[in-house]
Amino acid sequence: MAPVDTPRTTIPGAATGPADAPRRVRERRGGADLLFRALARGGGVVVLCVMLLVGGFLLYRAQDALGVAGWSFLTTQEWDPDAGAGRFGIAAVLTGTVLIAMVAIVVAVPLATGAALYISEYAPRRIRQTLISLVDLMAAVPSVVYGLWGFFLLQDNVLGLSNWITTYFGWIPIFDVKDSDPRDPLSTMTVYTSSTFVAGLVVGMMITPIVCSIMREVFSQAPPGEREGAYALGATKWGMIRAVVLPFGRGGMIGGTMLGLGRALGETIAIVMIISPVFKIQPHILENGASSVAALIALRYGDSTEAGISALFAAGLALFVMTLIVNFLASMIIARSRSGAASEV
Amino acid sequence: MAETATRMRRGVARLLALALVAASVLLGTPATAAPRLVSITGSGSTWSQNALDQWRADVRQNNITVHYSGVGSTAGRNAFAQGTVDFAVSEIEFGAEANEAIPRRRFAYMPIVAGGTSFMYNLKIGGRRVTNLRLSGDVIAKIFTGSIRMWNDAAIRADNPGLNLPARRIVPVVRSDGSGTTAQFVKWMNNQYPSIWRPWCRSKGRTEAQCNVLSFYPPGFTAQAGSSQIAGYVAGSNAEGAITYVEYSYAKENGFPVVKVLNKAGYYVEPTANSVAVALTRAQIETGNPNAQNYLTQKLEGVYNDRDKRTYPLSSYSYMVIPLAHENGVTEGKAYTLGRFAYYFLCQGQQKVDLLGYSPLPINLVEAGFNQVKRIPGVVQEARPIRSCNNPTFSTDGTNTLARTAVNPPECDKKGNGQQCTAGTGGAAGTPTENSNNNSGGSGTGNGSAGTPGGTGNPGGTGTSPSVAPTASQSAGPGLVDPATGEVIGNGNGGGGEQFVAGVPVSLAGEGGWRLRHTMMVLAGIVLLALVVGPPLIFRRSGVTRTGTEGPKR
Repeated sequence: MAPVDTPRTTIPGAATGPADAPRRVRERRGGADLLFRALARGGGVVVLCVMLLVGGFLLYRAQDALGVAGWSFLTTQEWDPDAGAGRFGIAAVLTGTVLIAMVAIVVAVPLATGAALYISEYAPRRIRQTLISLVDLMAAVPSVVYGLWGFFLLQDNVLGLSNWITTYFGWIPIFDVKDSDPRDPLSTMTVYTSSTFVAGLVVGMMITPIVCSIMREVFSQAPPGEREGAYALGATKWGMIRAVVLPFGRGGMIGGTMLGLGRALGETIAIVMIISPVFKIQPHILENGASSVAALIALRYGDSTEAGISALFAAGLALFVMTLIVNFLASMIIARSRSGAASEV
Repeated sequence: MAETATRMRRGVARLLALALVAASVLLGTPATAAPRLVSITGSGSTWSQNALDQWRADVRQNNITVHYSGVGSTAGRNAFAQGTVDFAVSEIEFGAEANEAIPRRRFAYMPIVAGGTSFMYNLKIGGRRVTNLRLSGDVIAKIFTGSIRMWNDAAIRADNPGLNLPARRIVPVVRSDGSGTTAQFVKWMNNQYPSIWRPWCRSKGRTEAQCNVLSFYPPGFTAQAGSSQIAGYVAGSNAEGAITYVEYSYAKENGFPVVKVLNKAGYYVEPTANSVAVALTRAQIETGNPNAQNYLTQKLEGVYNDRDKRTYPLSSYSYMVIPLAHENGVTEGKAYTLGRFAYYFLCQGQQKVDLLGYSPLPINLVEAGFNQVKRIPGVVQEARPIRSCNNPTFSTDGTNTLARTAVNPPECDKKGNGQQCTAGTGGAAGTPTENSNNNSGGSGTGNGSAGTPGGTGNPGGTGTSPSVAPTASQSAGPGLVDPATGEVIGNGNGGGGEQFVAGVPVSLAGEGGWRLRHTMMVLAGIVLLALVVGPPLIFRRSGVTRTGTEGPKR
């Protein structure tokens, strides 16, 4: 029997020799590296500069109107810049913009989520690529085409839906329509035309592809290990999607929605073609008459006086700031989420 | 040595050649060369855009390229003032509106075409389109200031004894952009019906001066941008009950009728080329000083108040704003091109504007227009014999042929004689509207035989037949009486083989309140929801967990 050494732990004493210090890393950048760095940095700086210049220019051109209107610019609903202080403001148009964007989001997000899930999870491999290109193609259609489609085709066909909603849900304030009387067979359908709802539907169609492609991107990045783990635990396909794909993609979904919202806020020409501008806060989304900052600018910049142009710049500034905030929020949410850390949304 | 000499000679030759080229470049093309055609750009009115588009298409075969964007008169004038376009088209002049600045750029006005601001509408009675609506001016003003809101308003019924108008809401549609059409319409209302227009305009926060001429219609109605869009809106299948103001050509283009407007002579008149030509013989054209800025502008009070039976009171000219100096990008070539274009549309271009829905310019304005074109520096004058233009208004004695040959309106369009012409108007000229009013009173000719069933067989009749509904329902058989309501279908002289059977709007008591149908709908909804959501909920609550019996015991 060999004697058994009792195992002993040796604790090393204090380190001897020269104290540890991090090695100085000496970068040796080659010419190509330096050039690339300069280009990348320059690109970033230029983008930032352009952004600042746009903002600064808007502010510069808007200061006349803002000086005249003061704080009343935020609270006035009317739009008559030639009449002076207190007669023009963005309370109505900004609300209208947000309402149209909200309708668009409510339409686009479920549609985009469904489409993205189908493409990334369910679609047969053969047609997947086709579907992706189709959605991308939808994003490439110019907005004026959506406007034409909305004005000449969609609007006429959606009035029945508006009528139905207001008939049965008119007791909810936002679905109420003044001058609509479902019991009157001769009541005119024009009260439902040119409304926030119709404009929102069209904008919703326009932002769906953007939201959809971001979501699809994120869904397809859900880690295969976790997917297979879910299957191994007996999950159905839908169970796996609910347990793995959707939680993983939550940040991307929110981010995509916010980006869509950003675009919806700035959408112009399609809205111009559909709405009948009103300059009072119009909370009834099904009712004729809507407003939007971008549409106001597009409609009026050609036929405004000096004061009017300055007021339009002020409205543009407000929209610029709002869109910027929405986009910042979007990028923050995406960056903080698990899926977003890797994706470049 | 010989080599160097030749080299030097070559060098000198080269230098000479270079100098020649340089000289030719520096001196430019010789002044005698013909100016080149370059493309020109304009923007403005949509009122006259249909005519301009036609002319642009016509001159393209001569390599004259004219770009025109119909963005509204106000935007057009602004673009001209800022120097972004070579010419503008507008119904009103610079500064006509309160607080509009007169541009520093040198310019002049030139009439391009005449026309009538018409009221296009979309109205049906019993499913058949009304094409012969007539309105007096005060009714139009009241409609567009919101005090007449229903089509069966007594005032509208009084204007239309032959129509059984439905209890439908009137939807006035106005322009949302700065528009010369709006300005012309507002000027007319302000001049003719100040007691209706001004209080309403003031109540919308406009100042006293602004209410005289407004390019932006005060808010309160459905608004659309541009003539073609506003006309498209009214022509939409869902826009029944809508009425708007556009140039006559847009109604023609869309196949829709226009309102016959009552003139001072007591006749309801359609804005045809003839009635516009008659009316504009009363327009006061500013002809004092050809160098004045307002030379050739129009004053229309005489037109509004003209007592000629054939006059359409909302007639006016449309103007082109032409540049008078080489500034803001106007070059020799552009001036030359603009001149060629102007010579064309002032002369041959006028021949067919009445087909489009406009009225050609009279000879004095064509001549004045030619003189205005000459003032554009760089225009090559064309010696066009004015007689060769074949303008339908020209005559040998200087009178306006179109106005001279205009026929008097038919007597059925006279106000207050209880009749109404059935012929269609505007783009629906081929569709007559049957007399649909059983209670028209028949104060007219009292032609008894027309009322007998199956009698004269006069479907296109002038509405003179006094309706004898009771006799018709008694003797014309059961087909004429609606069994449900006991109302007579069709008019008094129904029963003829080719007769239109016009439906008559009948008001029934509406179903009100909450009915069994609604309860059933709600129940069905709840049951559906319970079916979808219920089972999983119950399944979970009942304690049977997903993992079944192997699950952790609690």
